Amino acid sequence: MRSWIFILAVSYLVLLVLLSLNSRRRNQTADDFIFAGSNIGIFLGLLTFAATLFSTFTLLGMPDFFRMHGIGAWIFLAVSDGAMVFLIVWFGYHLRKRVLKKGFRGMAGLLNESYRTSFAGYTYFAGVFLFLIPYVAIQIRGVAIFLNASFPEVFPVWGWALLIVITMLIYSEVGGLRAIMYADTLQGLILLVVVWVIAFNCISYFGGVKTMFVSVESVDPGLLSVPGPENLFNIQFLLASFLAILLLPVTQPQLTTRLVVMSNLRAMHRMAVGVGFFAIMIILPTAAIGLYGAVRYPEETTAVFLSQVLLFDQPGIVAAAAIIGLIAAALSTSDSQIFALGSELRSLLPLREKNTLLKTRIGMIVFGFASFVFSILSSDQLVLLARVSFAGTSLLAPMIFAAIFLKKSPGIEIVIATLTGLLLFIATLFNIIPSEIGTIRMDLLLLIFLGLFTVVIHFVRNRSNGWSRNQH
Amino acid sequence: MRKPNSVYWKICCLAAILLSVITFTPLVIPAGKYVPQLFGMPYSLWIGILITVGFVILTFLGTIVHPGKKEEEHK
Repeated sequence: MRSWIFILAVSYLVLLVLLSLNSRRRNQTADDFIFAGSNIGIFLGLLTFAATLFSTFTLLGMPDFFRMHGIGAWIFLAVSDGAMVFLIVWFGYHLRKRVLKKGFRGMAGLLNESYRTSFAGYTYFAGVFLFLIPYVAIQIRGVAIFLNASFPEVFPVWGWALLIVITMLIYSEVGGLRAIMYADTLQGLILLVVVWVIAFNCISYFGGVKTMFVSVESVDPGLLSVPGPENLFNIQFLLASFLAILLLPVTQPQLTTRLVVMSNLRAMHRMAVGVGFFAIMIILPTAAIGLYGAVRYPEETTAVFLSQVLLFDQPGIVAAAAIIGLIAAALSTSDSQIFALGSELRSLLPLREKNTLLKTRIGMIVFGFASFVFSILSSDQLVLLARVSFAGTSLLAPMIFAAIFLKKSPGIEIVIATLTGLLLFIATLFNIIPSEIGTIRMDLLLLIFLGLFTVVIHFVRNRSNGWSRNQH
Repeated sequence: MRKPNSVYWKICCLAAILLSVITFTPLVIPAGKYVPQLFGMPYSLWIGILITVGFVILTFLGTIVHPGKKEEEHK
């Protein structure tokens, strides 16, 4: 296996270097660096969006989620992703229409302009920073603990994490968004092939799909239905997760940017359909891998289960490809998010190109190392931590919808309410306030409240404007 | 008069909302039940797969009838 790892790792690194240098040659302006010339076609758009969305969280987190909580994991992620691709068609059109009129430097800049106060942009930036850094960190940590469990003699967990962060920063700083998109494409293809080969081997172990489910039933029939053996997938959890995942293209800048930089609406539409198809193709095999783990490794820790199923139960070349695929997945999701945070920082800065680009680059390095520090401190519950990140950023959605859909400037009250919502949600995470009010989850409650509040403020403002016009 | 595309697009939106709503009913996620099975797959899994495929088909249909498509063609 080690010789295969060496061959594949060298091939991957050579490709990464070539793609970065090629992108660097093509980047003529700061906008080329940040937005890849805003002319991305269907194939590149599809794979970069998919690779940014499906990452370590998918390859490591989802099999473990299926193993521990059963088939409800499909409803949790795949159904939510299905709805999300429909939302891309609806929201993407309105976003692009807005961008066509007013230009785009980042969502924070768009919010500043729309709300006519930089408070809106800073609130957005604070929200994405607070919830994306932990998300980036768990991608890095997921791969680092896996590599450490598999090769304990090479590096400690922090060593692997540092290596991933440095590699990511180097090629992002060299090639900009275009290099990241090329790396995403490479990663998306590796991930898809690897996950299917491993799933096929897992199903072969049982002799077929039917016998796999019979074996799972004999181990724990609770895995075959919701809410699962640990009662995780109750309707409220699934609904709150559905809304949080549905709103990802609206609230997470690495995805919003990818809707904007597509060459035209037709390309964005086709990309959306492709991502939906990709979601099914990538999540389905993780179910087989997870259920194999439920039968063979029900009591093992996450790290042991993953190193067994992805490495030691696979032929050498597949195990080596899994390792490279995992590193590629961690790199591609993390770099997109770190880069998006840098772009958002840029959109908050005044328009002096040379200076702002330098600050953006420095910002990316700072964000990268913040993720590294958090990756050492965070827990191993990949999917649940990712879900917290999704739920946190989803609270920004009503504020963004108001900016995109309202012709007049929405009220600053919406920004204040959003900031309060973010603070309350963080307070629940640290157990300062209860995470449920009555029997309702706080994240769900906050999202519903912010949505209703935004609608009410819009109508109240419209009415008072109409009233003052009549007075005059 | 409303453009036909706009009506079809709204039908797609309504269908997507309907699909989202039924996902969270016992029709799709009956607690503790995994029959009837399809090719050995438990009930909530195969119907969940059908719903996801349904969303992707709706997205595809939505891209065909989306009113913005015409706007771009006219530009």
